[in-house]
This record gives sequence, C-alpha cells and structure tokens, in this order.
Amino acid sequence: MISILEVRGLKKNYGDFAAVKGITFDIKEGEIFSLLGPNGAGKTTTISMLSTLYAPTSGDATIGGHSITKDPMAVKQVIGVVPQEIALYEDLTARENLLFWGQMYGLSGKSLNSRVDEVLEQIGLVDKAKNRVKTYSGGMKRRVNIGVGLLHKPRLLFMDEPTVGIDPQSRRAILDTVKDLNKQGMTVLYTTHYMEEAQELSDRVGIIDHGELIALGTQKELTLQVGETDTLILHIGEHDDPEALANSLDGVPDVLEAIATDGEVSVVAREAEEVLAAVVTKANDRGIKIRSIDIREPNLEAVFLHLTGRALRD
Amino acid sequence: MKKIFAIAWKDAIIKFSSKSEWLFFVILPITFTFLIAGGVPSGDDDNRIRLLVVDEAQTSISQQIISELENSTAVNPEVVALGEAQRQFDDRRASVVFIIPAGIDIESLLNGSAQVELLQQPNNLNATIAERAVLTAIRRVSSSISAAQNAVNVREAKQAFASDAEKQTFFEESLEMAQSIQADAPERVTVIEGTTPDEIDYDPRTNTSAGQLITWVFIPLFGISALFASEREEGTLRRLLTTPSRKATFLFGTIAGQVGMALIQMFLLVGFGILVMKLNWGREPLALFVLLFASAVAAAAFGTTLGTFIKTAGQAVGLSIMFGMLFALLGGCMYPLELFPPAIQNAVRILPTTWAMEGMLDLGLRSGGMMEILPEAGVLLGFAAVFFTVGVMRFRYE
Repeated sequence: MISILEVRGLKKNYGDFAAVKGITFDIKEGEIFSLLGPNGAGKTTTISMLSTLYAPTSGDATIGGHSITKDPMAVKQVIGVVPQEIALYEDLTARENLLFWGQMYGLSGKSLNSRVDEVLEQIGLVDKAKNRVKTYSGGMKRRVNIGVGLLHKPRLLFMDEPTVGIDPQSRRAILDTVKDLNKQGMTVLYTTHYMEEAQELSDRVGIIDHGELIALGTQKELTLQVGETDTLILHIGEHDDPEALANSLDGVPDVLEAIATDGEVSVVAREAEEVLAAVVTKANDRGIKIRSIDIREPNLEAVFLHLTGRALRD
Repeated sequence: MKKIFAIAWKDAIIKFSSKSEWLFFVILPITFTFLIAGGVPSGDDDNRIRLLVVDEAQTSISQQIISELENSTAVNPEVVALGEAQRQFDDRRASVVFIIPAGIDIESLLNGSAQVELLQQPNNLNATIAERAVLTAIRRVSSSISAAQNAVNVREAKQAFASDAEKQTFFEESLEMAQSIQADAPERVTVIEGTTPDEIDYDPRTNTSAGQLITWVFIPLFGISALFASEREEGTLRRLLTTPSRKATFLFGTIAGQVGMALIQMFLLVGFGILVMKLNWGREPLALFVLLFASAVAAAAFGTTLGTFIKTAGQAVGLSIMFGMLFALLGGCMYPLELFPPAIQNAVRILPTTWAMEGMLDLGLRSGGMMEILPEAGVLLGFAAVFFTVGVMRFRYE
C-alpha cells in the first residue's frame, strides 16, 4: 500500500524544551493510525506540525507527496483537521458553521449546499441544523466539530482526541463515525490517551511519550513486545501502601514485574492463575486489603507500562 | 474573493445574532446625538435668555415694559404667575425672575417711587445679561413718559388745558409720539462680522452629530482587536489556518466586514442627521463618503494593530472602549477643540479622531467640499497604512 503520510525526523523545540524529539513514521493510505500517549506526550504538537500550523524545528513530512514545510497550501487541500477543542462559532447554527467552513475549504454554490446536507446527515444533526451551536450538548458540538473536518472529503483526516470530555453515548457515536469514514476509504490519524479507543479503532498504533515515538506497529506486534503475559490489577484499600505490596512481590515465582500506582498494583505474570494465590497471601501477610482484582490479557496498556514503567493515565 | 465575503458575512451574522447589538449599532448613537444636540430644531431658533416676568401691576406701563422686553435681542420674556415663577426659581429651572409689583403706574415712575424686583441665581451670566435687558426696557419706557410729561408741562405753561380729559389725551398723544421717535431712532452700533477664513459659525448640533458618529463608530472598529482575540481563544483561528486559506484572506475578510458594517452605521446616523435633525450632511455626498471611508479604515487599522498586542477578548473590549472614549474626547468629538489649550490642540493631531472630526466640520460647518476634506482623508489613510503594516507584520509572527 502507498504511504499517504511520511514523517521523517520531525522535531519541535520551544526554547530549551523539546516537545517532539525527531519522530519518524508512515501512514498507509486507507488505514486508521493511532498516536497513543498520555497528556503532554507531544501528540497535539505533532498534529499541529503535520497540519502546517507550526513549522518544525527540523525534519519534514510529506502528505500526499507534498512537503509540509515547502508546500503547505497543497498539504491543506489533502488534509482535514478535527481539533481537540470545539473550534466552532457558537452564535451560528450548525448549518451556518458548515457553510462557512465549507467556503474556507473552497466549496461554493450547489456543491457546498449538497455537501453540507450530506455531512449533517452523516453526523446525525439534520433536525437540529438550524439551532445555534451554543444550545447544543457537548456531544453534539463534538459531532459538528468532526463534520467540519469532513466537508471537503479529505484524503487524510487528523482527529486530535475527539472524545475528550463527552458522555459514553456520544463517544460511541464518534468511534462508529470514524470506522464508517475509514470504510469509505478515508485515512485517519487519531490521537488519544484512551487505550481502549486505540485498541478498537487502529490498524496500527504509535506509542508516544515525552516527545518520542517509543513503539510502533500493529496491536499484535506491540503486545508481543511484552510477551505472552497477563496483567493482574490489584485494587487495594485507600489507606494501604501499594509500594509495599509491589516490593513484597519481588522474587515471587512467575511474577515478572510488579508496579505500584495510585491505589493499585499492576502485576505482570506469565499465567495470572498461577500467581494469584501467592499475591493474595503476600497481601494478607502485610495486612493489605485487596478490594478487587482484574485480570487482563496483553494489551496496549501493558505495552505502555512495560515500555515506560508508568500507567497510561499518569 | 468568495472567502473574504464569507468571512465578512459570518462576522455580520455573529454581530447581529444578539438583538442587543442594535442598541449599540443605531439606537444609542441616535438617542445620544438627539439628546446632546438638543433635539429637533424648532424653526425660529430663539436663542434668547428665558426671562420669567410676573406682572402684578397689570397696568399700561407694565404692559409697555413687557413689550420692550419682547423686542429685546437678549431676553425672551415669559409671563407667569408669582407662585410658578418662585417655584421655577427655587428649583433653579429659571436663572432670573422679573417681578413688576402692583402700583407701578405713570405717577410712580414720574415721581421716582416705582420699584421693581429682580430675582437672580448667583454667579449666573444669563441673569446678569437679563438684568441689563430689564434696566434698558425700564429706561426706554421711563424716558418716553418723561418726554410726554415734559410736553404736557410746556403746553400747560403756554396755555392751560380746558379739562383733565384734554390734558390726559394730550399726554397720551405725546407719549405715543415719544415712543414712535424712540422706535425709529437710528442704530448707534454697527455690527461688522469678521471675514477670517477659519472663523466657524459654531453650531452645537452639527458638532454633536459629527462627534457622536465618530465616537460610536470608532469604538466597535477598535473592537476588531477583540474579534482577533476571540478567534484565537475559541480555536477558530487555528482551525482556519489549517484550511487552504491564507492569513491575509482572514485578515482582509475580517477587516472588510467590520468596515462595511461601520459604513452602514455611519450612513444611518448621517441619514438621521439629515432627515430628522435637518443638518447639512447631504450637501457633498461624495466628499462625505470619502471622509467616512477613510475614517473607518483608519479606525479598523488601529484595531488590527491593537489586536496583535493583547491576549484575551476581555482585555481587547476594555482597551477598545478606553481608547475609543479617550480618542473621542481628545479629538474634539465631545467638546470643540477650540476650548482646549493651543498645545493640546497641536498634540492631538496624532489621533485619527481629530482628523475625522476636522473633516466632518469642514463639510458640516465650513461648507467645504472634496478639496477641503482631501488633507484630512489623506492623513486618515496614512494612519491606516501605518497601522495595517504594523498589524499585519505582527499578526504573521504570532
């Protein structure tokens, strides 16, 4: 498959602070690629450079064969951007917003009107199209926010954490929309700090942390990096010390790693069932109350934990 | 071009999405202009000082005094009852009250026992002027009576009157003749008006109309800065810059929209001045358009530059109002510049409001045309060029 996006050594510094430290990756035409990482990892800065808002400190990227540094206007014709914040005019209706942004993408006349109708249908807001955006719920605003990015049928759609701060129902609708768009042939670069979203949507995932791309591949390829392991998440009493329990598990047979986080201990083991009894015994020995235990098969959370020693939400 | 129009149209929809915008766009400017300018012209334009007269004598002499006052160029007598006069005086609604008490007749005037009362507000120039007018009226009536009485005395010394009725008739005829001679007396003062070119026949209504127009239009144009700040805060500017549209398109569209709306607002205010207040704005329409356009562009350019120095829309709104009011005050929009010290009059030439106001007064008061307003329009466009250059350069680097 042809690469629609090729990123080579992209770097962005703000004074002495390196927000993005020379990342390199490709996105193939027709795939959903997720950039997964915690807040402040450099996801938005990366998208801002790729959408030609910020000039990179060094490195370059080509989108549809056009360089973001040398031919930004051609790049803008190829991409659609759904920013993290709701970038709409709240005093305009959804339809007026779409008409305005459509004109900014160069649409006009009948094609503009019919495209606006299609997008309103797509985001499920035909009935509310004549209401001002400021009267909408957070989820409805998010849908209009996405709709604007789709108006000119971009080949590559950047979606920067589009589900932040919305209810589960709207989140579900947005994830379904992303899948539908991809089925129609649109390539999507999706940034998120929700592991579940990356897992559900992505053909390939890039894990980014502190401005570096620390892992890249399909989900299967990534989970293989942590081996065929299970993760036990122990939820302990709020007055108990997770650090003490994690330290006590060192040397327990079949326990590969134990990491303490806020109110939890993550235990990586080859087989969860084999270490479960030992873990509970250790907790009882130290008077630590285990409130519940989750057993998780290898996933992106485990990969992130394995690579950084931190949970994704930290 | 389509994108520029789309941006301007979007801003217009947003501006008028709130009904309260009409308040600032047209209702308040018209109300302020109307009230400060003193409303609709009455037609006779009587600028004389209002003088309340209480006529308790109700004699022919008191009537003659009032008649003399009516002919005065300084005061406009208004006969009222004593209670009403006292009330208005106590409420400071009248600066002066002239009371002609009962018993004022020819006898009392001739024997010097006549006394009238004049109530004056303290430290009031109008009251002082009215006092002079009252004294003049009384003197004129007294001198006529003296002349008539002298005529009666001379006649009586030569030949006694047959009866009191004949004497009274002779007196009245003499009085009428004295008054007639007095009325036909030649003017002792000749007034020659100056011909200095800069002399303005100051008209507070024209001045107010021009000043309010500039004030109410400049403040929202300075508010372009808030528009830029708001687009930054809402993230719409970032989004716009990810579309295949240039920064210059955004800037030009935003400014064109605001200037277009300002021109509409100015024409509404000018139309109100012409149709309702009967002002002279329609005499040179092309010159007026050039001046208003140059003024709007200069104000918009200043707003653009201001927008690149501030961070939030809240800051921008506050600064726009502050600069708008300050520039209007110093530019002569609220008080004639002639009331300012010469040094200030020169210093405020760095403000666009001063030039806009000068241009308006050229058209409205000095009967100027295109040639007369070209210097002001040129300076205003110069302001625009400088502020736009700074604004665009700084905007690029944000």
